[in-house]
Amino acid sequence: MPEATFRIKRHNPEKLDDQNGTGDDRYDDFTVPYESSLTVLEGLFYIQENLDGSLSFRYCCRAAVCGSCAMYINGTYRLACQTNVRHLDDGPITVEPMPHMPVVKDLVCDMTDFFAKYETVMPHIIRNSAPPEKEIIQSPEDRKKLDMPVDCILCGSCYSSCPSVWGEGNYLGPAALLKAYRFEVDSRDEARKERLPRFDNERGSYRCHTITNCVEACPKELNPTEAIQWLKGAAVRRRLLGRAK
Amino acid sequence: MRQGVIEENAGGMWLWLLQRLTAVVLIVGLAVHIVATHVLNLGELSYDNVAGRLAMPLFVVVDFALLGAGIFHALNGLRMVLLDYGFSGRSKTMLSWGLFVFGVAAFGYGAWALWPWLTA
Ligand code: HEM
Ligand code: SF4
Ligand code: FES
Repeated sequence: MPEATFRIKRHNPEKLDDQNGTGDDRYDDFTVPYESSLTVLEGLFYIQENLDGSLSFRYCCRAAVCGSCAMYINGTYRLACQTNVRHLDDGPITVEPMPHMPVVKDLVCDMTDFFAKYETVMPHIIRNSAPPEKEIIQSPEDRKKLDMPVDCILCGSCYSSCPSVWGEGNYLGPAALLKAYRFEVDSRDEARKERLPRFDNERGSYRCHTITNCVEACPKELNPTEAIQWLKGAAVRRRLLGRAK
Repeated sequence: MRQGVIEENAGGMWLWLLQRLTAVVLIVGLAVHIVATHVLNLGELSYDNVAGRLAMPLFVVVDFALLGAGIFHALNGLRMVLLDYGFSGRSKTMLSWGLFVFGVAAFGYGAWALWPWLTA
């Protein structure tokens, strides 16, 4: 039976006031046997059930759609449920929480700010006209514009990887701005003045310096940078050229 | 995220747009400048020749555009970099005004140097 070694970064908030005040930060090695294939998430389950019940991590869907299990695996942002150990290099598999994020415990990051920023951009369709009798029609071409941004699962990888976020804790960051884009390009959205000032400001789109770490980090292979550049242009089109959208 | 951050940081579109536009001026202006001074070698390298070129309307326009665009682009770029080091609220306002005053002074100094060719 093949085996995989997991080298997991640990952090215990209850030990924050121990001798060195580090929360007992350390790396623990665990050996996980498996039959023919094993995802990193399955490996974490095995460890939690058989080797160390105190190991903490987030998951929900196990199918790369909920975004809960984003981690830093062998130095790359990955979804633990989507990562098969057979596709990783030989040797120990390093599993760490997403870097540059406050850690709650072990692999669990504090996502409070991340979701506060997501809510700031009003992530929902805004309508100003009377509702139609039946559904709101959208052409296939207009729907196509949503193909990229709707795939975002709010895992936070892009946000964790963005140097502008590291430098400025109040910057909205790539995921929230990608979400603003997702509704701004939606033909059914009629927001004119509501959402615009929320991303068109110096803690919004203009804080992006097209570093593109987010593009590299995204496990869904999306392009937040391109979306943010579009938002910068949209502000000019709407404020200066008077376009509706 | 702190409450009120979005309201305090409203704006930014003009600075971004001007950074783009001055970048275009720099690309075109630097191209004209480099081609004219280093590639074409208009006449021999003498005071009269250089002075004559500097007084040509095209070069007066290019030189003033380069002066203004270069100063704006460099200082606004510097502001973008410095904003990553925790300037907000009052310190941000002071930074912006400080750079603005410095920029105006730098433009005045540059214009003073170019002035003789305008009136030549
Ligand atoms: C061919 C000439 C140039 C072009 C095309 C150009 C282009 C640009 C553009 C498009 C940006 C905006 C980046 C953003 O949106 O974040 C930028 C930013 C910047 N530029 Fe230039 N630039 C040129 C020359 C210069 C020069 C001569 C300087 C220095 C004196 C300079 C210093 C900066 C700085 C410091 C930034 C801010 C970087 C940041 O975004 O953090 N650039 N430049
Ligand atoms: S854009 Fe990609 S990396 Fe960022 S939150 Fe969405 S899915 Fe995750
Ligand atoms: S558990 Fe939902 S994305 Fe991995």
